[in-house]
Amino acid sequence: MATSRNKNMNAKLVLLGDVGAGKSSLVLRFVKGQFIEFQESTIGAAFFSQTVALNDATVKFEIWDTAGQERYHSLAPMYYRGAAAAIIVYDITNQESFERAKKWVQELQAQGNSNMVMALTGNKADLLDARKVAAEEAQTYAQENGLFFMETSAKTAANVNDVFSEIAKRLPRLQPAQNPSGMVLMDGPAQTPATASCCS
Amino acid sequence: MYGTHSKRDMDIEYQSQVPILRPSIHARRAKITVKFQDLYGFTVEGNVDDVNVLNEVREKVREKGKVWWALEASKGANWYLQTHVSSTLKTSLKFSALVNAITLKKLIRKGIPPVLRPKIWFSLSGAAKKKSTAPDSYYEDLTKAVQDKVTPATKQIDHDLPRTFPGHPWLDTAEGHAALRRVLVAYSFRDSDVGYCQGLNYVAALLLLVMKTEEEAFWMIAVLLENVLVSDCYNKNLSGCHVEQRVFKDLLTKKCPRIVAHLDALEFDVSLVCTEWFLCLFAKSLPSETTLRVWDVLFNEGANLLFHVAMAIFKMNEEELLTVHHVGDVIHIIQRCTHQLFDPDDLLTVAFDQIGFMTTTTISRQRKKQEPAVMAELDQRLRRLNSIKADDEQ
Repeated sequence: MATSRNKNMNAKLVLLGDVGAGKSSLVLRFVKGQFIEFQESTIGAAFFSQTVALNDATVKFEIWDTAGQERYHSLAPMYYRGAAAAIIVYDITNQESFERAKKWVQELQAQGNSNMVMALTGNKADLLDARKVAAEEAQTYAQENGLFFMETSAKTAANVNDVFSEIAKRLPRLQPAQNPSGMVLMDGPAQTPATASCCS
Repeated sequence: MYGTHSKRDMDIEYQSQVPILRPSIHARRAKITVKFQDLYGFTVEGNVDDVNVLNEVREKVREKGKVWWALEASKGANWYLQTHVSSTLKTSLKFSALVNAITLKKLIRKGIPPVLRPKIWFSLSGAAKKKSTAPDSYYEDLTKAVQDKVTPATKQIDHDLPRTFPGHPWLDTAEGHAALRRVLVAYSFRDSDVGYCQGLNYVAALLLLVMKTEEEAFWMIAVLLENVLVSDCYNKNLSGCHVEQRVFKDLLTKKCPRIVAHLDALEFDVSLVCTEWFLCLFAKSLPSETTLRVWDVLFNEGANLLFHVAMAIFKMNEEELLTVHHVGDVIHIIQRCTHQLFDPDDLLTVAFDQIGFMTTTTISRQRKKQEPAVMAELDQRLRRLNSIKADDEQ
């Protein structure tokens, strides 16, 4: 295909979020299709890559999964510098992690590339009984800040691939190739805040 | 004291009884990946060649043991503990201490036999001296006093216990978690500026496997953070670690300019892979015996060794690194190399013989130079974040 060069791209993606929100689990689910209850804690950051096919194009994500402990945040600029996309992860059973996620959004807005595609992800959506952060609250916050929002479960795999596919679609160079795929997404002000499949 | 003695003794016995691994003929033919346990009980994935290398390493460890026993026989037990040249000693004694120190340095670079490690590390690192300045019951009192306290540090420690070398036959048991918890919690109270920093869990875990008691593991952590490593590596903004990263980049630029120029062109910052090495002291990256060989030298020669080892990893992969053009490939090469460095001598030979000499003064000067820059950068980030908050509140 003559245009294949334009249609296959590499994209640097960074995962940020509070300690134990499940950043590494999301990546492991996306990259290897696995879930491990106790993931080794990440020091500095871990690197992964995975390709997403999107109609006739592909996006190869170069993923930096960062350490969550507060003091490691001073290293974060090294990982988000030049990133095309960011996934900011919080744990729906932990209000503090949601507050921390907002701080990450602010830092990226102030510092990151203005074209950066940002996703806000409420992870551990399988733990409905322990929910502390309402999906509506996060959805509203995401809308106000121009992010797209999804709740995920690295454990059940719900919505995990969808977050990455949606990011792939939104990356600037691929916009023309976009094609509605019928996924239930909670993006954009036009949509009703219907919760994603895992938490309905 | 906490019942870890018997476990430790068992471990040593266990180490000496580990059978030589014999991959089946089919495995040999198929070159398949096999899983096996290494000397310290870690599950390792590798191919048949890796198994063979590991067997050779075990054989070398055994041979090295003989050298150490012979020296004990000729110089007396504990000869290696008398290598500090004191000014009050008579000249002849000073000379013998010096000879011992030189012999010891060479020997240690070739590796300390696992059974001698606890004793030699404890003494040479300065941990024994540090312990001797505190009351005998210091560790016991400290652990008892803090066992029911809850702080941000203890919460983080509890969170990390099952995430520290999960699956290890001892570390990932209730007993292992409890011992690791006591050591980390005790240290978090000893130095509240550090509290607990992720990364220390891996270091402490490996120390627990090596040292005879958790009390000794605790003092090893103390001497590492307070004396062996540069200060502030693990503090609240990791400033010491930032400084070390910058110093490392400068040294690497001097020693391996081709690699640095190439990686710069790819916009690859070496800190992306090195941060973990420096914070975990390679415990999370290298096979266990290789990590411990690095630590053998670290405790005898000091923190600059970490630069040598980190540089050696790049040096060993120089040609291959120069051929790749993607960040992912760079990381892949480095990680494949570190995970498969089953023969510690492959790494240490390069670290000592091919990197060239770096004086302590040069490195200290570099640190002094980088400190203000790091502090300014950290400060700037904080101020930026605070100004966002201020805007928000308006």
